Amino acid sequence: MSKALRRRENISGYLFLLPSLIFFLGFVVFPMILCVYTSFFDAKLSANVPDAFVGFQNYVTLWKDPVFLKALVNTFIIVLVSVPVVCVFSLWVASAIYKMKEGALSFFRIVFYLPVVTGSVAVTVVWKWMYNNYYGIFNYLLKGMGFIEKNINWLGDPKYALACIIIILLTTSVGQPIVLYVSALSNVDQSLVEAAEVDGATNLQVFWRIKWPQIMPTTLYILVITTINSFQCFALIQLLTSGGPNYATETVMYYIYYTAFKLNNFGYGNAMGVILAIFIAILSAIQFRLAREK
Amino acid sequence: MKKYLAILLALVLVIGLAACGGTTATTTTDQQTTTTTTNNEPATTNTEPAAEGEPAAATEITLWTYPIGNWGNEEAVKALTDAFTAETGIKVTVEYLTYADGDDKVNTAITAKAAPDLIMEGPERLVANWGANGYMVDISDLFDDTDKAELNAAALAACFTDAGAAYEYPLVMTAHCMAINWTAFVEAGADQYVDRDSHTWTTQQYLDACAALYAYYGDTFSGIYCSGQGGDQGTRALVNNLYGGTFTTADHSAYTWDDPLNVKALKTIYDLQGVEYDPSINGGEEIANFYNGIFKMAYCWNIAQQLNPNSAGTGAGLTATGDEIVFMAFPADGDPALQGGIWGFGIFDNGDAARIEAAKQFIKYFCDSEHTADAVRTANYFAARSAAEGTDLSAIWADNEIMNEYTKLMPYLGDYYQVTKGWAQARTAWWNMLQQVGASDGSEEAIAAAVASFAAEANAAAQG
Repeated sequence: MSKALRRRENISGYLFLLPSLIFFLGFVVFPMILCVYTSFFDAKLSANVPDAFVGFQNYVTLWKDPVFLKALVNTFIIVLVSVPVVCVFSLWVASAIYKMKEGALSFFRIVFYLPVVTGSVAVTVVWKWMYNNYYGIFNYLLKGMGFIEKNINWLGDPKYALACIIIILLTTSVGQPIVLYVSALSNVDQSLVEAAEVDGATNLQVFWRIKWPQIMPTTLYILVITTINSFQCFALIQLLTSGGPNYATETVMYYIYYTAFKLNNFGYGNAMGVILAIFIAILSAIQFRLAREK
Repeated sequence: MKKYLAILLALVLVIGLAACGGTTATTTTDQQTTTTTTNNEPATTNTEPAAEGEPAAATEITLWTYPIGNWGNEEAVKALTDAFTAETGIKVTVEYLTYADGDDKVNTAITAKAAPDLIMEGPERLVANWGANGYMVDISDLFDDTDKAELNAAALAACFTDAGAAYEYPLVMTAHCMAINWTAFVEAGADQYVDRDSHTWTTQQYLDACAALYAYYGDTFSGIYCSGQGGDQGTRALVNNLYGGTFTTADHSAYTWDDPLNVKALKTIYDLQGVEYDPSINGGEEIANFYNGIFKMAYCWNIAQQLNPNSAGTGAGLTATGDEIVFMAFPADGDPALQGGIWGFGIFDNGDAARIEAAKQFIKYFCDSEHTADAVRTANYFAARSAAEGTDLSAIWADNEIMNEYTKLMPYLGDYYQVTKGWAQARTAWWNMLQQVGASDGSEEAIAAAVASFAAEANAAAQG
């Protein structure tokens, strides 16, 4: 290919990229830069008081803010519980269904994917009914079966509230990993599997030595995506608990929203956003590193 | 050829994107909001010319309104704005906000320098928040001596800052109250503790009624909702009224809810059987539980709810199952102090004198003219003034039995303290405090500690 032709094709390619690039720069890169920039200011919603440069003050204040620390702990609990559970559960389900006939396979894929495509508000409303303190189905069943004497205020009791949120998060998170794992397992080289079986490998050995390495890229993708989604848990909190009771379900994402949009303290909220992004980046890097070593 | 085709495609895409992004102020940008523009041709004969030296009014303005009675109803508001357009020639584009995300939208619009010309809400937002932060136009010139004489003194005071600037022109007001399921009260024998005629009861009568209800139903019949998201005026009023505690200082410079009388009230509520601090529900959900017969009392109530309980359209003053609802003042020894609701219009300072002038015309038209009665009726609340330009407003609800009965509560309107600085954070601190009290062991020390901690947080916000 001649240089001129290659240049022409490059230009064409970039022109096709341009619309997306404009969106990416305008709605991702520019806000990110602005977020970091604003985090160094005492930026509040006030025309009377100009934003004041405070250096790292917002970042220092963060670590003395008990609500932020509580939100950070809650966020890590959500991540540490949901990421392994989502991965293991979706791998288990995918392993069980990927060899099924097309009709049955589609049925299960639909069942598990339905919460993903259903609007989060609709999902949340249904769960809120089920958790309801006065007429929820969980209390109705548990009381009916004699497991509890008095209704449990699932979302109103600090002992249960975060677990309730995590359960909803799991149901909305496993759909995509299951579909991905079904696809990845279907693409495992069958000749290697058969060869291993001929050589006398057990099912566990076949899985661990043959299938697992081949689905590792999928696993890595699922780990990273689930980690990011778990860190960014917001809608459930906003719609169900507003961070309560007694900060039991406060997450960093919700606290950012509350600080920025309810208290109009944009500088402080952006500082939290930067810290959250750093945590996500570090965890994702660790996951990539471990996966590469594996 | 290929190159030109690529350039053409890219240009089409870019122009398409630009076109998509270039929405005008009259375009609805969110599926949850509805936008309408009045299209009536103006009747030129009635249009008042701008006074000499004043800028000519713009011909288009925008109004964002929270759901204040039927001011949240597109059909009702369109009838009003159409009439305004016909008389003044000024078109009004209306966007309907919800309390769930209205503040976020307004704040986002302010930061994007796209705030509406007019906004309809109360002094806690218009005066204490956006006004205090320099985003509103001082409209004190709209109040002449006659207006000041006609306007309710509490409403008037709430719309002005200490420095004399006015950021809201009040249209309607009400007193927030609580409600009881009268049918359930009768069944439980708790009706004996209620003065149905005056709609008042003492603290002891309230406690006795609670005891009777629990003895009869044996389960939770009332929830101190505290998941946030609004309605907190009800829980504040209950706590403050039980033993006469206060929420702020008289000059609204500090929060005083760590008053020992409030601690005593919170402890009393904690000890009441059948009344639970419930962090899983908010004010709206409490109303729904009351309407559906789960709760026998509701603390998040006012005349709008009495006229149309749970906004369900199933009959005034009735629950879903047809039980009778009676509105009540909060229990107090002596006169109760009810939380007020004052709603009116404010103008955002968008730097356009012509639009500000048009917005002022809108305010005078709806808040101080012969058209005020229609605007008040649309809100389903009480007029914030006795008369407007010769039109008597004191009897506009004479033909409505429920509204007439509700006027018995209006003299109990208490201090409008929602204009205290740091209000947004103080509200959050209040419901977080209720959550902590509910989760505590119920000892007076634990309750006092929670109260002190969150009152301190609110006061820190008040200090800025």
